[in-house]
Amino acid sequence: MKFSFNHDQQQFAAGLREMLEREFTAAHLRGVWESGTGHDPAVWARLADMGVLSMMLPESDGGMGGDFVDTVLLVEELGRAAVPGPVFETMTVGALALRGTTWASGVADGSVAVTAALMGERYVPHTDVAALVLLADHQSVRALETAQLQTESVEGIDHGRRLATLSGTDSGGHFLAVDLNEVIDAGALASAAYLLGLSSRMLAIAGDYARDRRQFGQPIGSFQAVKHLMADALLKVEFARPAVYRAAWSHATGADTRSRDVSMAKALASEAAQKAARSALQVHGAIGYTWECDLQLFMKKAWALMPAWGNASLHRRRVSDAVLGQR
Amino acid sequence: MDLTETPDEQAFRAEARAWLEANVPAEPLPSFDTAEGFELHRQWEAKLYEGRWSAVSWPAEYGGRDADYLKWLIFEEEYWRSGAPGRVSQNGIFLLGPTIIEVGTPEQKARFLPAMARSDEIWAQAWSEPDAGSDMASIRSKGTLSADGSEWILNGQKIWASRAAWADWCFGIFRTDPESSRHKGLTFILMPLDTPGITVRPIAQLDGDTGFAEIFFDDVRVPVENTLGGVGNGWSVAMATAGFERGVSLRSPARFNVAVERLIKLWIRIGDPDDDTMRDAVTDLWMQAEGYRLHTYMTVTKLLEGGHVGSESSLNKIFWSEMDVRAHELALQLLGPDAERMDGAHQRWVDGFLFSLSGPIYAGTNEIQRNIIADRVLNLPRG
Ligand SMILES: Cc1cc2nc3c(=O)[nH]c(=O)nc-3n(C[C@H](O)[C@H](O)[C@H](O)COP(=O)(O)OP(=O)(O)OC[C@H]3O[C@@H](n4cnc5c(N)ncnc54)[C@H](O)[C@@H]3O)c2cc1C
Repeated sequence: MKFSFNHDQQQFAAGLREMLEREFTAAHLRGVWESGTGHDPAVWARLADMGVLSMMLPESDGGMGGDFVDTVLLVEELGRAAVPGPVFETMTVGALALRGTTWASGVADGSVAVTAALMGERYVPHTDVAALVLLADHQSVRALETAQLQTESVEGIDHGRRLATLSGTDSGGHFLAVDLNEVIDAGALASAAYLLGLSSRMLAIAGDYARDRRQFGQPIGSFQAVKHLMADALLKVEFARPAVYRAAWSHATGADTRSRDVSMAKALASEAAQKAARSALQVHGAIGYTWECDLQLFMKKAWALMPAWGNASLHRRRVSDAVLGQR
Repeated sequence: MDLTETPDEQAFRAEARAWLEANVPAEPLPSFDTAEGFELHRQWEAKLYEGRWSAVSWPAEYGGRDADYLKWLIFEEEYWRSGAPGRVSQNGIFLLGPTIIEVGTPEQKARFLPAMARSDEIWAQAWSEPDAGSDMASIRSKGTLSADGSEWILNGQKIWASRAAWADWCFGIFRTDPESSRHKGLTFILMPLDTPGITVRPIAQLDGDTGFAEIFFDDVRVPVENTLGGVGNGWSVAMATAGFERGVSLRSPARFNVAVERLIKLWIRIGDPDDDTMRDAVTDLWMQAEGYRLHTYMTVTKLLEGGHVGSESSLNKIFWSEMDVRAHELALQLLGPDAERMDGAHQRWVDGFLFSLSGPIYAGTNEIQRNIIADRVLNLPRG
């Protein structure tokens, strides 16, 4: 029994974090928001170069041959930086569904971005960036080229995740030889890992502000109400963390409990992110309520991803069915 | 990462399980907060010692098994699953014992550890005073050296000392430098509770039983050899002990997993299948207990890989204590009218509920833990 990541996994995640801290600051993220593209080709190319996008693809597809345990810390780092575009979708859901297909090498080299709507989503994210969209068709997964579809964009709260409605999806495309539930679990788990990174970032931003901002002649972080607010948020985040890592193990090993474990991870990570966002905003006071404050870039990503891939309530139901028996 | 057990770990688990199945008393013992129950629990501890299960993580030379943290966790899982009695020895074996192993002299180790492992000597801890609760550094009970320097002479009052009504020895901190204040000038001292000058006055807890006591010290003479960790170092020795308490050792996840398993059984047996609110709440509890178990496995792996656990242990303390209260609140809600009965088939839930309420208070209140998290984990400025 060993519940930790090996040296390579930790080093890779640390390298990714360093790269993102240097090359993808909040200012860059704001730039993407202002560009209206919901995507950053430069950071995407870097992720392809580093092998982040291809981590979960087999070597025969030009990938790194990793599993979810190798990938989960990377997704967390992408969340910490709130990297925009269909990044976790491509590297987990896309890699899993497209392995062995002609698209796989494009996922690995960064030329094929992938998005998905496998749970009957009304609004599909990232369709103007992704080359492929994966849709559920009964118990199968079908890949359609976004260029062949009619999309109508709708305005979303997170400008790093542009939304659209799709039509013309009833037929065409390619059926993929994958298990729908395994792919859905991959998306739910990846969104949970991403939320974990986002939550840590929001608490870090709030901590910086609480040390800096002074009222009544002292830093606001010295007030106990502020301390306890943040301690409670940290508690939620730190107890979601092992659930996310364990779900990665269950996914990687094809455990019988995979779906239950993924659902536990997504439920806890969604609730932790909600609490982190709310607490971080409160710590900021009015400045947190402005467009100018960078906190919003992270909060809005969290608000978008909490319901994505099933909200906490849906996943709690899946856990209760597994633990208490079907209703 | 490998979340499966090694053959060695499996064998250890099987051995623990087999021994417990053969030895755990069929009927629950009376509460160890009663005179009779205390002695019966002492006998159970002696039996555990005979099987070499009383202090599994201690070195073999003192009666342990040199079990690493993981094996200790495995033992705890088997222990609580088996329905074995609560550990009347915990102040000694889980808190003081590891501290003596860390900072004690060879003579102290030889003198205290074997008797502790056998529960020939059961320990109470005496930190709190009437005017020094959360603010433990303000303690005033004092120790002065006798003229020949061979003895401490202790005066003052301690309170809320668990098990003290029937325990044999106690440990605590005393102000040995009268000029000192706060964390300085304190010394950690061990003494038998039947030393002349000590008066123990039992205090009935919320459930009416004698779970803790006041201890009065009136010119109590204790050999200086009973100083643990050096004169004036009492605070850091106490923090090491309290660290063990908050961290992994006081509350292993297993007891909460078992409580939650019981809650789930109760829900399946008497819950209203259409009550989705309750169903969700029970599911939340399951996730919390599971989350705590996983969190502990992560912590323990970190320790085994040479890492340290510092103030993060305050997160654990809040987590398990609030989870325990919530589990019992839910059980009582499920029990409906039976939750009001102090006798009968569900007594264990009602007793457990009362006990759970002390969790957020003892071992440093949860507000104090939040202060620690904010100051030392989140690095917020001190107030
Ligand atoms: C069942 C039980 C067993 C115990 N066993 C032992 C034992 O064996 N040995 C021993 O020495 N002691 C023991 N204690 C005592 C325990 O350690 C103290 O109760 C605890 O430290 C709190 O001190 P207090 O009761 O004086 O409360 P106080 O310190 O008076 O606190 C009262 C309230 O004020 C809050 N508060 C105080 N200071 C702050 C602050 N700075 N910031 C925010 N809130 C604050 C507290 O959180 C609490 O809510 C036990 C207590 C219980 C309930």
